Amino acid sequence: MSHAAPGTTDARVTPDLAVEIGPLKLRNPVLTASGTFGYGDEYAHVVDLKRIGGVITKTVTVHPRPGNAPTRLAETAAGMLNSIGLENVGLERFRTDKLPKLRALEATVIASVGGETAQELARLLETLGHEPGIGGFEINFSCPNVSKGGARYWAVPARLERTMRLLRTLTDRALIAKLSPDVTSIAELARACEQAGADAVTAVNTFVGMAVDLEHSRHRLNRTTGGLSGPAIKPLALARCHEAAAAVRIPVVGSGGIMNGRDALEFIAVGATAIQVGTVSFVRPRAATEVLDEMTAFLAERRVARLADWRGSLADPPPGVGDAARNGRRP
Amino acid sequence: MSRAGAARPEGPTPQVKRAEPSAHAAGFQWRQAVGRVVAHEDRGAGHRWLEIEVDAEFLVPRPGQFVQLLLPAPAPVLLPRPMSVAAATPRGATLALGFLYAPVGAGTHALARLALGESVELLGPLGRGYPLEDPGTPVLVAGGRGVAPLLFAAEALAAAGRRCEFLFGARSRAYLVGLDEAARRIEGLGGRLHPATDDGGLGHRGNVVDLLAKLAPGLDPEIVLHACGPHAMLGAVARWALERGTPAWLAMESIMACGTGVCRGCPLPRSEGGRAAYLRERGDAPSLEGNHEYAMCCTEGPVFAAAALDWERVT
Repeated sequence: MSHAAPGTTDARVTPDLAVEIGPLKLRNPVLTASGTFGYGDEYAHVVDLKRIGGVITKTVTVHPRPGNAPTRLAETAAGMLNSIGLENVGLERFRTDKLPKLRALEATVIASVGGETAQELARLLETLGHEPGIGGFEINFSCPNVSKGGARYWAVPARLERTMRLLRTLTDRALIAKLSPDVTSIAELARACEQAGADAVTAVNTFVGMAVDLEHSRHRLNRTTGGLSGPAIKPLALARCHEAAAAVRIPVVGSGGIMNGRDALEFIAVGATAIQVGTVSFVRPRAATEVLDEMTAFLAERRVARLADWRGSLADPPPGVGDAARNGRRP
Repeated sequence: MSRAGAARPEGPTPQVKRAEPSAHAAGFQWRQAVGRVVAHEDRGAGHRWLEIEVDAEFLVPRPGQFVQLLLPAPAPVLLPRPMSVAAATPRGATLALGFLYAPVGAGTHALARLALGESVELLGPLGRGYPLEDPGTPVLVAGGRGVAPLLFAAEALAAAGRRCEFLFGARSRAYLVGLDEAARRIEGLGGRLHPATDDGGLGHRGNVVDLLAKLAPGLDPEIVLHACGPHAMLGAVARWALERGTPAWLAMESIMACGTGVCRGCPLPRSEGGRAAYLRERGDAPSLEGNHEYAMCCTEGPVFAAAALDWERVT
């Protein structure tokens, strides 16, 4: 992507939005969040996929999963709860049916993988780790809607570190750890991933939430809790992203309630290198490219030549909680 | 603007593209478009008629299909509203889509405030509609607001010159919203309208499923049911049809997020037979339409064959 030379007198510049996550070069920081964009082809007829940074596919597990019993969704104030339960085609069908389609997409593909154990995750990367057409992997350490191998299981730094070390040996592609916000210290988990060789961490997955149907005196979701997403969680997600970014030197991928380009740039300002759009794609399928255009226009208007110049302008950890993050940051 | 939705279609113009009957083909046919409100009025008993004009790039929906309607910002709800199409009228380079609804929640109350000329984003057409081309006399069974897609179905059948029976039940005469339109759409082809009211204010006293059972002996032996209404009513229609081996198609509802099969949020439980059929055709892996346990309401439905779903587990 070209951009005007520094010191240009043009009223507007075309900012350079290219970012790197380990070995993976992205044309811009806009990624579609796992579980909100299928396998890319479902939206390819309305979204120009070659314009965005990349597509993160629906989490794949070793075996196919039918997902949770209904009701799986509840709309809440400025957000939604989901309890899908990692419904997916399983590793074998992913490899034979989905991968050829992913390779045909004009998009950088990051495959999301999930497992109940380190061994399951290892098996996924043993199979997919060197497959052409996959630019990187996002390890889903944070699903709130499964009984085994979910967010709670993985919120143990030592387990996370051990697992990431194992996975690191299985692929040379970008490895991103997607973290849960419902943890004591996201900084500690992010550091565990960094030490184990992760190329980035995603902050954050959905927040555990609940909705009650008072008229019928029952839970709205069959599994009682679900993952909260949408604009309601943006302030919470920003704080987690900020804390994680202050704790590690690897890139942080910001995610949570991004609805437009300004939201995305807030995450970049607090230290994110890339961002994910999720729930907004359910509202406006073309949201990913809209967010990209809005980011570009905002930066151009302020004559910011490179996204890197915007990144981290508000990244210093605040006093108190931030001290822990700052102390943990390597010099 | 008055009752454009009840007018006979002007017939497809050459540039109009119709949605494919196949669910699999329909999966990727939807488009995003900006529409304009051209009619919005009360229909009595708390019901509203909304008409939105879109350009003809938007495929003409089939009866039973739906669109996702996104309220203009700022809106009190985040997600688009899935709306069953009650009329689709090609008018030159544009297409008028009619919706019959009742403001019941925050989203539909906000919808009711849409002014003439206001812009609205639409996504569609989505899902699979009624297989109206199936042989046999079509019997349309509507419960309350469920009449919406069946008004559209009656219109499509009339355009094809096919006679149908139209059973329409509601709690009272006032709640039979759309009764006159239904009558107009089936007249001239020998079709009959059979109302039912809980209070006996018009037609059969009792529910529309009892009315169906009562009328059945006098109907053609070869009938196909096309129904829409509350799930309890659809369950009763499905059981009645399954016991008799009568083909029946039911338009279901579900809370939805994307409406396109991507979010996996609107599963309906499959019957034993439905599960076996899925496993036979696709194995145990999920597809855009669902998986062997659950069918997605938005892509495999919203119209389902009676035998496809487990009515004991439908809520």
